[in-house]
Amino acid sequence: MKISLDWIKDFVELPELSPQEMGVRFTLSTCEVEGVEETNAHMEQVSVVEITKIEAHPEADKLRLVSFETGSGERRVVCGAPNVAPGMKVPFAPIGTTLPGGFTLEPKKIRGVMSEGMLCAEDELGLSDDHAGLMELPADAPVGKSLAEYLELKRDVLLDIDNKSITHRPDLWGHYGMAREFSAAFGKPLAKPFDEAWIEKMRGLYNDETPPVSVTVDEGTACLGFCGLSVDGVSIKSSPVWMQQRLTACGMRPINNIVDISNYVMLELGMPNHIFDRDTVRGGRIIVRDMGKDGTFTTLDEMERKMIAADTMVCDAEGPSSIGGIMGGLTSSVKDETNRVFIEVANWKPERIRHTSTRLGLRTDASQRYEKSLDSHQIERTVLRILELLLESCPEAKVVGSLVSDKVQLKPPLIIDLTLERVNSILGTTLEQSEVIRILESLEYKIDAQGDVMKVTVPSYRATKDVEVDADLIEDVGRIYGFDKLIPLAPHNEITVTSLSPAKIMERRIQDFMVLRGRALEIYSYPLTGARLLEQADWSVMNEGLVLANALSPETDRMRPSLVPSLLEKASLNQKFHSKYRLFELGRSYLENEKNFSEDRHQLGIIYFDKNESPFMDVLNLMGDLLESLSLKAQIQPPNPKFANPVVASDWTGRHPHEFLDVRVMGKICGFIGTIHPLMCSKFKIKGNLVMAVLDMTDFMDRPVKDKTKYKPLPKFPGATFDCTVVAETNTPAADVLGVLKKVKLKELEDVRIVDVYPLSESQKTVTLRSWLLDRDKTLAPDFLKEAENKIVAALDKAGYPLKQG
Amino acid sequence: MLQKLEEVKKEFDSEIDSVASMPDMAQFKADYIGKKGRLSALMGGMRDLSVEDKKTFGARANEVKQEMIAAVEKRSQAIELEAINAKLEKNRQDISWTDRITDKGQQAAGLHPLTKVTRELEDLFLSMGFDILDGPHIEDEYHNFEALNIPESHPARDMQDTFWFKDKKHLLRTHTSNLQIRGMETHKPPFKFVGPGKVFRCETLDASHEAAFHQLEGMMVGRDISVPHMIHFLRTLLSEIFKSELKVRLRPGFFPFVEPGFELDYECLLCGGKGCSVCKQVGWVEALGCGMVHPNVLRGGGIDPNEFNGFAFGLGIDRLTMMRYRIDDVRHLHSGNLQFSEQFRTY
Ligand SMILES: [Zn+2]
Repeated sequence: MKISLDWIKDFVELPELSPQEMGVRFTLSTCEVEGVEETNAHMEQVSVVEITKIEAHPEADKLRLVSFETGSGERRVVCGAPNVAPGMKVPFAPIGTTLPGGFTLEPKKIRGVMSEGMLCAEDELGLSDDHAGLMELPADAPVGKSLAEYLELKRDVLLDIDNKSITHRPDLWGHYGMAREFSAAFGKPLAKPFDEAWIEKMRGLYNDETPPVSVTVDEGTACLGFCGLSVDGVSIKSSPVWMQQRLTACGMRPINNIVDISNYVMLELGMPNHIFDRDTVRGGRIIVRDMGKDGTFTTLDEMERKMIAADTMVCDAEGPSSIGGIMGGLTSSVKDETNRVFIEVANWKPERIRHTSTRLGLRTDASQRYEKSLDSHQIERTVLRILELLLESCPEAKVVGSLVSDKVQLKPPLIIDLTLERVNSILGTTLEQSEVIRILESLEYKIDAQGDVMKVTVPSYRATKDVEVDADLIEDVGRIYGFDKLIPLAPHNEITVTSLSPAKIMERRIQDFMVLRGRALEIYSYPLTGARLLEQADWSVMNEGLVLANALSPETDRMRPSLVPSLLEKASLNQKFHSKYRLFELGRSYLENEKNFSEDRHQLGIIYFDKNESPFMDVLNLMGDLLESLSLKAQIQPPNPKFANPVVASDWTGRHPHEFLDVRVMGKICGFIGTIHPLMCSKFKIKGNLVMAVLDMTDFMDRPVKDKTKYKPLPKFPGATFDCTVVAETNTPAADVLGVLKKVKLKELEDVRIVDVYPLSESQKTVTLRSWLLDRDKTLAPDFLKEAENKIVAALDKAGYPLKQG
Repeated sequence: MLQKLEEVKKEFDSEIDSVASMPDMAQFKADYIGKKGRLSALMGGMRDLSVEDKKTFGARANEVKQEMIAAVEKRSQAIELEAINAKLEKNRQDISWTDRITDKGQQAAGLHPLTKVTRELEDLFLSMGFDILDGPHIEDEYHNFEALNIPESHPARDMQDTFWFKDKKHLLRTHTSNLQIRGMETHKPPFKFVGPGKVFRCETLDASHEAAFHQLEGMMVGRDISVPHMIHFLRTLLSEIFKSELKVRLRPGFFPFVEPGFELDYECLLCGGKGCSVCKQVGWVEALGCGMVHPNVLRGGGIDPNEFNGFAFGLGIDRLTMMRYRIDDVRHLHSGNLQFSEQFRTY
């Protein structure tokens, strides 16, 4: 929203500060000033001149040398405008003028001829978009007069206020409210031209005639009160220049005196309003009621809007004439021949306005003000200010009857108890009570000091939502006193021991492990996904229950049910740049949950990709190490049809027939390691070996990672090793062969490992096994060793793995 | 005789350096100092000498023998070293050919920049005695709005373009402020905690706007906490983050769950407050939103606002990360593109 300081000066005297300083001061005391703009300064340098002579440019056909009288001597410029003619009056900007585009005129030669400034078109002066030719001034325009003086253009400074910073302040949506803040911030008195006495005086214009329009507001509508006043004998014309200027400065296009007054008063008092052509009010009745049934309505921007039964409309005897609090209809607006008008000022329920305007995608100057909770006390004041300006514009106009209204409820004043002690303890200040009272009074609070307690009456325009409790008053005291005056102070601090939560510790350990051991890069992928990606990944959980009502795009319309589809997408992306890579993500997926609506799942996703060799064993070994490093009781095992894997469906296309293992932690399956099936890879245009592992940590991440080390004294007696090579079928997993030794009942057998596997023939291979034998109490006797070796060989033989002969 | 001895020694000295292998050395050693070597032979002829000469010759002969043994030892070691080095030379590898100059696909490993910055923040707060909290991304209206003093009719609900689920009761949290409520449910005052995490806003994406981004919420509740305490704390915090003594300023800011509410700016580090492109010519950079916890929020959390009060703040982790590394486009953060990630490599 733009605030004109020239307008503010109607109500308060401002200190001599540069526009920039003004912006900073206001930012610190009240709300965010996003920009400062000075207008019309150049108009004081631009003056009316009369063209005297036109000559051809010696070097350019399209340019001419134009001489003119400035009132203080003749000048000459080079000019290319098509409409120059002797005797014409035009605006002239001398060297040194800074035009609205931001550039300053300097002496320069144009094609070898010196030009002493510039004759201007309207757009160059910032008056309009017209660039057809030089701005032609009336013949009687006095030569030498500045344009500022001639056109009555006032120099002004505009502050661009960030609307978000005044969301909570309905009183700041008009210049008068802003002026009150300037008055408090700078300690200057505020003029009160619209006070009770003025209202009383203006009411004197009401008369006994029967009001030609009656007003009824139905129960249960969005309306918080509706007032109107009929005025006859208006005539439609242009507004005075000063009003047009202010409206333009604030971003409104001047239309005619009636529309302009309506907008002007909204920008001044912050209360939206509507001035109807009264002849369009059919049946002399205005009824505010809900639509009652769905239908359409054409707003004054000539758009047909879809209305629903619960929308509140302002209607006449025949039907709706505007959408309450949002926008008027096409038919009720003032026309050139309008003579009788009806001034409407109403108040509306913020949430209802917000609902309707959001649904219609129609945010207007009116709706965004009503959304902030406006003050019904301002309704009649607004009607009367409109009336005042209307009579200024059309002195022949007259009021018909008096104010008609329905359902206007004026809330009793809000009184808040405030103590000085509370103010000083929150702000850390040592303010006197008199100082606090002075500040609050400058914001038009009324204070009744009763001993230690100040009974503070909140002005009605602050009491609609903004100010509720003493903390709100303390904020007002603080910002006007100046938060920059507060001296930072170290808080008194209790000594507390803090540490990261077990979940955080586990996350960090995983991340560090993946970087230092897994040699992987961490990525973040998007927690939102869409049906297209899920279908591409053949993912059976579509999360229909977690679809957003207002998604930005179909690609991000729901929460992802798993990290897997996201990881496939990222795998596809990255294989374009790397023939081999390793990445991981600690991310969330989301599942529907009947009881709690949804549950956030914490997952680790790992991807190893290699164009040439399968990294499956790397990932498998990595996962084993990871689980051990987290001290988790875990197994990695082939899938068993009896136990479903909750992380990935048993019939998922991405499952590899052999290279797929379940990860089980503390008895529950919560992850997998798998080579992604080539069929799935081809759906993502991935060419190479893609191995993925997912570990859902949700169920165990809150358990502290415990150090389960059990120290054993180092052996005092030497041990022995025994190697043997046995024959097995080619397809027999080496681990099965080793498994036989793990079951041998021999307490001296400390450890068994595979040394080597070697192909013997098409169908057979050899497996060399090493056993470690150790007795912690004595040296192993040769007889015992022989016996132990026989036991080992016999066990293998019995399991179908005979000793290799020769 | 003595002269002969000196001749043998001379010969020995002139020949030893040309012995090139261990077998040659064994032969050479036998030739001179072996039992049947030249030195022994000379010593054999000693009995013909006078007692006086025997003494002189014997002493010298012994000396020469010791010198020869030492020389043979020294030369043998040299021969052995040469042999080993010759072998090493044969097995010489190219030690310039490191992984770093080899195309083996992606070699780098490291954490995501957001993880790095978040950890740094967490550690900083831990050192100041704060607990670190976490909370759900999918929230209900109560924790995201109502309990934070944002009733249904409040225009602030518009300010935070919320992603709603179709039941219109659940939503993606629009700020980490839901952690204030969740933290109060699990903590008894006095307490202080922070909570970093992902938040969501229904915003059109561009280089500086993301629909999913990261915030860090903080809350400190105790007795007699004042605005100057908050300023001191936040100034210390930001100075630590930027590793520089910062100047800060408060200006009114509106967040329904704090009162008074502020925006906290710090003096631009690049231009020292004179105004530059980073601070948009203002000299100050917006750092975070903060304020004294609204009594309604405390009351909602079962805390008596007459006994306890405190402050809360929220800062944007993405913006901080982007500033730290001068990242040009916020969309890179969720891109999963390793060309982006590998720039933040640990090694
Ligand atoms: Zn700067």
